[in-house]
Amino acid sequence: MKTKSVTSHARMPFLTGVVFVAPALLLFSVFILYPLATALSYSFFSWKGTLQGSFIGLENYEAVFTRKPFDEALPNAFSHNLLLFAGAMVFQNTVGLLLAMALHKIGRLKRLFQTMFAMPYLVSPLVVGYLWSLLLSPLFGPVNAILKAVGLEELALPWLGDPTTAIWAIVFITAWQWIGFPMLLYGAALGGIPEEITEAADIDGATGFKKFRSITFPLLLPALGTVSILTFIGAMEAFPIPYAVGGSTGSPAGATDVMALLFYRTAFESGDVGSIGTSSALAMLLFLFIFGVAVALRLALSRGEKRLYG
Amino acid sequence: MRKRLSALGLVGVAALVLTGCAPAAQEPAETSAQAQSSATADPVEPVTLTIWSWRTEDVEKYNTIFDVYEAANPGVTVEFEAFLNTEYNQILATGLEGSDGPDLAMVRAYGGVQPLIEAGQLLQVDGLVDTSAVEQSLLAAATGKNDGNLYGVPFATQVLQVFYNKGIFDELGLTEPTTWEEFVAVNDALNASDYTPMALGAKDAWMLPIFHEIVGAARFGGPEFRDELLAGSTDFTDADYVASIDLVNQMTNYMVDDVIGVGYADSQVQFISGTAAQFPGGSFELGNFQTQAPDMDLGVYLVPPPPGAVSDKPLAAGWADGSFAINANTANQEASLNLLNWLASAEFGQLFVDEIKQFSAIKGMTYSDPVMKEIGELFASGPSQYINLVDMRYGDPTGSTLIGEGIQGMFLGEKSAADVAQYLQEGVATWFTPGS
Repeated sequence: MKTKSVTSHARMPFLTGVVFVAPALLLFSVFILYPLATALSYSFFSWKGTLQGSFIGLENYEAVFTRKPFDEALPNAFSHNLLLFAGAMVFQNTVGLLLAMALHKIGRLKRLFQTMFAMPYLVSPLVVGYLWSLLLSPLFGPVNAILKAVGLEELALPWLGDPTTAIWAIVFITAWQWIGFPMLLYGAALGGIPEEITEAADIDGATGFKKFRSITFPLLLPALGTVSILTFIGAMEAFPIPYAVGGSTGSPAGATDVMALLFYRTAFESGDVGSIGTSSALAMLLFLFIFGVAVALRLALSRGEKRLYG
Repeated sequence: MRKRLSALGLVGVAALVLTGCAPAAQEPAETSAQAQSSATADPVEPVTLTIWSWRTEDVEKYNTIFDVYEAANPGVTVEFEAFLNTEYNQILATGLEGSDGPDLAMVRAYGGVQPLIEAGQLLQVDGLVDTSAVEQSLLAAATGKNDGNLYGVPFATQVLQVFYNKGIFDELGLTEPTTWEEFVAVNDALNASDYTPMALGAKDAWMLPIFHEIVGAARFGGPEFRDELLAGSTDFTDADYVASIDLVNQMTNYMVDDVIGVGYADSQVQFISGTAAQFPGGSFELGNFQTQAPDMDLGVYLVPPPPGAVSDKPLAAGWADGSFAINANTANQEASLNLLNWLASAEFGQLFVDEIKQFSAIKGMTYSDPVMKEIGELFASGPSQYINLVDMRYGDPTGSTLIGEGIQGMFLGEKSAADVAQYLQEGVATWFTPGS
């Protein structure tokens, strides 16, 4: 097989570069950097409605860790975000990988199945959340109706009303919607593995699992890293599906509460006139945590890849 | 030095964190003192007053109402603009900051309006507006919590009661209960039939404090308890209040199994489809019920006082749903005040009832719809206030959030009625000081 030769580019004049970068940089600054900096500054002040008060240092940050309802709501919501991440890694990404491998092997109907699995990903998550609320309704939902019809009455639970099942229902609904995403990424990575390597391994007599462990998996690692980081960010920011399923309070009794819901309640539903300060502090903490962990994960993965590929 | 800033940056970071979307730009700062000097508009001179609202569905009806005002006040044009309900608070707060805000605006009630009052964005109207026609107990909805001053005129009220399907009652030979024994007998009879006695969306926590007021207000004593609570001579752990929460638990016998998994919309379907005979809920349900089930013969009643009840008569908890207020920065202050006075009049109240088909905050309105008329009479017969909304939404966590979560815990068997009361009391005690 021929390898593509890389041609060296002529260096772009500096000003031309600036002209190309400027529109995106301007939008990024106005719509991302500026509000980020504003929220950071808001979090250091006291507030009365939209009236900014005095500089109070880290008091808003202290409040979100110590004051009611945050002292209980914050660890509760945060633990659910971590659970959503773990659940997505275990179910969504492994099943996504298995689907990608299965589809990689079949030839003709690959496109059809890829489209089918990726379809929910194109629907608004809020719509998906409400749709599953209807499907899982203990009164009118078809899921429990089918379970009862086939004699599995003991499994016809109030899925979204029981705290032990509600958060797992959200893990499942999220996985149902996003399964096509890791599948497509892994599929593309699998397609990029040169055939001659697997052919050489076949000639050397490698078995299926050995081939996966020594060839496919290491070559999938960059995709795995990307999927893991995006899953982490998605799980930490989870909002539309938990909101559609459990409302802004994370019903039942806070069992589906997540950080973004806590932020939403604090910012938009709180009776506290100082809520701009506390909600800004919450938003900044969440941002810093997501940003920090995502960067750390990226660095760890780069190191891992370097070790593997030299 | 204090300076004013738009809250949009915050919304922006919310959008950034949640969805990666972008915020709008900030409005320039302006002080309220500037507006005072420019308030020289004469109502006889041509003037255009803008009113902002979250009632996108009522724009045409409000235009009809304001046509009446315009006809009686030559030269005055009223422009009614409505924005998406869920985004209205941010849009209004930002609009009131800048120079392109409305002259008047619909504002949220009770705790919901405090941020605007505290930020000095609303005109104080004590002595400037004649509120004698307004139901006096509702004025608290537009009153500053800290200064006790009036900042607007309430326009709509809601009342809590039990809706029932008269067809099902007739079929089973049941009548509206007037005593607790009759109430229990009606529900037992419904339980024995194919119908579900009560539809309740317990999965949606906000519905539970409403249900508690409907079932328990007479038990804990409604206005009497509220006075003592606000004065500090009792709190939510009071035995009567605990007993009222326990009544809520007893009512689960009259609901479907797994009621904790039933959402609000599902409970509406239960009632509309005729599988449930009763729907304990707010007057805001009426329009939807009449549209979705036009053939259903609807009845309403108040839950009679149970044994040991503090109140000897049934109570109907109510609250103001919102107010009209004047932008502190308006350039048309005099014309705005004239309009606000009209919004506090019986003429507007009746137009509001006839056009918008909701309950007015003005006293003595005539309701042509028989169910509305009956709800109005129920409220007049035993007026009470929805305490966890009216008084317990001035801080974080709000009373209604706490009792909603608490009752869910009780339905799940994790909390007793006393635990729920304790949870509520401890939560609001972080910001609520009796007598303040």
